[in-house]
Amino acid sequence: MPGGCIGEEKDVTVVRDIHLNLDKRQILRREGIRQQSSVRPEIMALIDELLVNIDDEHLLEPAWAYEISPISRLDQDQLSLAEDVVLHGPVLTSALSDAEELAVVVGTIGPRLEKQVTDYLGGREPLRGLLLDGIGSAAVDSLAQEACKLIQDEASLRGYQASSPFGPGTTGFPITEQWQLFKLVPAAEIGVRLAASGLMVPRKSVSMVIGLGEQVTARERGEACARCNLSKTCLYRWEANNQHIQA
Amino acid sequence: MSGELTKAIADLEENEALRLIREKLDGGENPQSLLEESRKGMEIVGQRFSEGTYFLPELIFSAEILKEITEIVKPRLTQEVQAERLGKCVIGTVAGDIHDIGKDIVVFMLDVNGFEVHDLGVDVPPQKFVEKITETSAPIVGLSGFLTLAFDSMKETVDAIKAAGLRDKVKIMIGGGQIDEDIRKYAGADAFGQDAMAAVSLAKGWL
Repeated sequence: MPGGCIGEEKDVTVVRDIHLNLDKRQILRREGIRQQSSVRPEIMALIDELLVNIDDEHLLEPAWAYEISPISRLDQDQLSLAEDVVLHGPVLTSALSDAEELAVVVGTIGPRLEKQVTDYLGGREPLRGLLLDGIGSAAVDSLAQEACKLIQDEASLRGYQASSPFGPGTTGFPITEQWQLFKLVPAAEIGVRLAASGLMVPRKSVSMVIGLGEQVTARERGEACARCNLSKTCLYRWEANNQHIQA
Repeated sequence: MSGELTKAIADLEENEALRLIREKLDGGENPQSLLEESRKGMEIVGQRFSEGTYFLPELIFSAEILKEITEIVKPRLTQEVQAERLGKCVIGTVAGDIHDIGKDIVVFMLDVNGFEVHDLGVDVPPQKFVEKITETSAPIVGLSGFLTLAFDSMKETVDAIKAAGLRDKVKIMIGGGQIDEDIRKYAGADAFGQDAMAAVSLAKGWL
């Protein structure tokens, strides 16, 4: 358990007070900077200052809710769960053919950081806004990673492996499927709701599914990025062997 | 020395650039020429950004320096020059999409580069674009969207502008995470930009 407190609510789990690892390299990746040595000292100093502000102002309120459901059926283009929830997406049916269960996770860092970003942008401080937004994205990445670790650890206790995570809105998993995920996980309890488009509010949130089973395999992040249709243009991609930024 | 202000901005030497501008103004140099020299520095930053030497934070940093310089120089300009803007733009994130940071950065870059920008915010219905274009007679429109579903909204917005009889009066650019030439054609826009600097170049090219 990654330093969180757990509250069992019906058959789902809500976790709060999660420790996030705000690694400088991950922050720079999320700022779209792919060469650490070229970053100006003024910008690094501003990132440091913002990190202190994040602590002082309690801008991060990480939490997630998740549920693990048995997979009742896997057809050519849809995956059915026990609760009469059906997920569509070619990537799910191809990558999770060996999965016996599906973990559904919704997590957020809360609304405070993005409110501060908006204030900076509106207050004519776009550099601070941009850098804080990047830090927020790195925080969401860390939150997702911690959630994956938790699911993986829990699965291994039962002799299961965990797949890579798949998020609605990425290649082969339509964003419209968010509505199905939100039927399973009480995201409102951690303050997350869906806009009409299927986007999550607060925006600094993450949703994902992870397949669990004895024969399930996971991909390296770099490999997953390489398979994405944005692999050539995405500023935030991971390279093979997770080398995403030059020292 | 001529060009030292340009160089200070291009090298993102904020304190040096601000020292130079004050010194030159006090020395009686023409404020408008100093602004021109500063903008040349920004152009070099833009080139370095395009070449991948600078990244987005550096681009924004340089724009903030130029903004500070403009505020120092402004009181020394004639009222006519103070009020002078390159052109008007209407910009917003299209209906259904609520991403704002990319759009906000484009707004800031256009503003710093001398445009009068009318920012409609996020999740903007097509009719709001039509109303603002009609109200301001802006010849440049920017449609932002990060999601794939934004492509349909962009097309609907361009169609609404067409239906209002305004299509031949405006140039429309689109931008966002996954925009490319195919999306531009689909939406019926005039151009697409991959980043904030591209938006500025396109807008300048349409003046």
